[in-house]
Amino acid sequence: MTDMAVPAPETAVAPPPGRRHERPRVDRVGYLFVAFFSVPFFLFNILPVLFGVYVAFTRWSIVGSPRWVGTENFTRAFADPWVTVAFQNALIYGVLIVPGVTVLGLAFALFVSRGYPLSGLARTLFFAPNVVSATVIGLVWVWLLDTQFGLVNHYLGVVGVSAVPWLTSTDWSLVGVSIASVWWDLGLAFVLFLAALQDIPADLTEAALVDGAGRWQRLFFIVLPQLRPVISMVVTLQLISTFRIFSQVYVMTNGGPAGSSSSPIYYIYTMAIVRNLFGYASAIALLLFIVILVITLLQRFLLKERA
Amino acid sequence: MNTKSEITDSTLLRPSRRGFLAGAAALAATPFVPARPALAKPVEIVHWSWLAASDGEVWAKMIDAFNTAHASQGIKIRMEIVPEEQYTTKILAAVASGKAPDFGWGTAGKEAALARDEVIVPLDDLAKAAGLDLPDFSAASIQASRYPKYGNGLFMVPMDLMSLQPLLNLAIAKEAGLDGSKPPTDAASLMEWAKAMTKTEGGKVTRSGIMMTGSGVQPTVTWGIVAAQMGFRRASDDLKTAAVNPDAGKAAMQWVLDLFDKQKVSTRDVTDRYKAFGTGQGGIFWTGPWTLNGYLGQKLDFTAALFPNIGGTRRTYSEIGGLELYAQGDKGRYEATMQAVKWLSDNSFLWTTVGRGASPRTSILSRPDYKTAGAPWSVRGPFVEGMSFATEGEIPVVAGPDFTIYSGGNFLAKTLDGVWAGKTSIDQAMAQIQETWQRGLDEG
Repeated sequence: MTDMAVPAPETAVAPPPGRRHERPRVDRVGYLFVAFFSVPFFLFNILPVLFGVYVAFTRWSIVGSPRWVGTENFTRAFADPWVTVAFQNALIYGVLIVPGVTVLGLAFALFVSRGYPLSGLARTLFFAPNVVSATVIGLVWVWLLDTQFGLVNHYLGVVGVSAVPWLTSTDWSLVGVSIASVWWDLGLAFVLFLAALQDIPADLTEAALVDGAGRWQRLFFIVLPQLRPVISMVVTLQLISTFRIFSQVYVMTNGGPAGSSSSPIYYIYTMAIVRNLFGYASAIALLLFIVILVITLLQRFLLKERA
Repeated sequence: MNTKSEITDSTLLRPSRRGFLAGAAALAATPFVPARPALAKPVEIVHWSWLAASDGEVWAKMIDAFNTAHASQGIKIRMEIVPEEQYTTKILAAVASGKAPDFGWGTAGKEAALARDEVIVPLDDLAKAAGLDLPDFSAASIQASRYPKYGNGLFMVPMDLMSLQPLLNLAIAKEAGLDGSKPPTDAASLMEWAKAMTKTEGGKVTRSGIMMTGSGVQPTVTWGIVAAQMGFRRASDDLKTAAVNPDAGKAAMQWVLDLFDKQKVSTRDVTDRYKAFGTGQGGIFWTGPWTLNGYLGQKLDFTAALFPNIGGTRRTYSEIGGLELYAQGDKGRYEATMQAVKWLSDNSFLWTTVGRGASPRTSILSRPDYKTAGAPWSVRGPFVEGMSFATEGEIPVVAGPDFTIYSGGNFLAKTLDGVWAGKTSIDQAMAQIQETWQRGLDEG
């Protein structure tokens, strides 16, 4: 290497003397624009979260000041069998609902993306449940899943299956609520998959066709790898949504029988709103946050997109 | 006494909070504003209610009647409907922020935490000052509205007395060859009725003789009543010992379990008990007087009876509704509010004939038209006469919600649900109940 100096490009303009260290000019009015969002966000999102964390270490029932009790609420939560039941149920909901939504959402999206006759109508029908409120969904499914007079058991009876106590048995209540939840949540996954399918470059599948790949080979070696980021997102969103399941449980079973369909949010609700134990409820909420964070990070790691 | 209101307007014409603030603002601005004569401002008493069904319509008429009676005096109650489940939380938030309503609905024995936190106001002195005729109330209703652990103060003015009594579907009874005018009175006749009214298909109960659900309120309250009849006590009179006579409690669990599995007169497969009884899926259904208007409206062929003596001593569930006053920054509002509550109590004939439950007031019960007003006495009568043995109310401690027998999701219901589902043994359940309840009593 020679000791030659490299000439500066002609286009480079040297800063005027005396202004080398001047900071870029900031138009402070920008802060005002940001404040319209950030101040309410801080007041109504961040501050309550921070206050909730604080309340988790106190005993508080709204009236009066929170009384600091250290980790007592957490100790109590770990010893509370109904907390354990609620978190176990959340895991089971996850096992039932997340694959159900993901697989059915993908299947419906594949069906619609083929452009079969009436696929436009199918697109509307598949997405429709998602725009209906969870309360309505819950009430409809209570009727559909009624043990004695429900439509589901009626048609099961036609094919010789005896009546299933979907919502009145400790063995089936989770399944009953999960069926309603899958039906409700399906729409969003369906739309996400449909959008992703339309983004897959046509030349990839065409090349595979030229190479003689069959339908299933194209699905497993072309389509699914291309959908990996969307699958990861759907699973993540659905997992978080499932851990936060509340409305369906509240409307369909009230967490029963014997807490068999209870969920962490439902239990937090009963402790906070019904019993006014806000400190204890906040502690369980904090535990739920940690569990969701860990599971989300874990599954993001497992499903992460490889280069 | 049910006389017209004798409210003295010197109390009710006190300024409202807003009036006070406006007055303060006006005072502050005095140097800059020319003086003008003071105007009499209307008094607005804020009332929160969670009554939203047919009883809510009757209550709205009560409030309208008050407002009409006081229109010339410029006194008005403004009623706001708050969902029942959010009621306490919203009351707490309203009191904490200094914007509590003046009065609202409560349930005797359920508000110990509110009494402890001074959210509700002791009423003994206010009632006396307002001239409320407390001796006219049933002693039991007044006693139930006190909290022994909080100065034994009266924290609620009882408005109605409710109990659980059986409704009998007369069409089913007739079909089963039963005489509807001679309802079951004891365990044996109850079971005879239940078996005759039950329908089965392939060994499965398709129509319950005794309307039950597999979990939640119905089996829980049934257990609570039968256990009390058998001699079980949720708490001793001094509120120091929980689950007195646990063997009776266990026997009652077995009795409920047998309805499903041994006697086979009930099915667990009912999700909506009210709808199920209304559509003929059950012969006998113990419920409260709040269901009567609905079933009468749908022209269901039914009658009511007194709760049978199943366990040795006739007892049933009791719920006493009433009006409570909430803590105010401006203590002057209590007096006016108490006058309004007194008027509503004195004029509660409509409420306790057409609205809900029996009257706690002797003067109303003894009126000659009490039996002929409202729903037919054949269905209303047992809910009035049955109050004589309706002893199973709330346990007036902070942990009271854990003791409530009329609940579908509290600690007791969830524990018992395990028994009905066969997941928890009777002994295990009773041990859990004893432990949790004792802890609740110890905490005060």
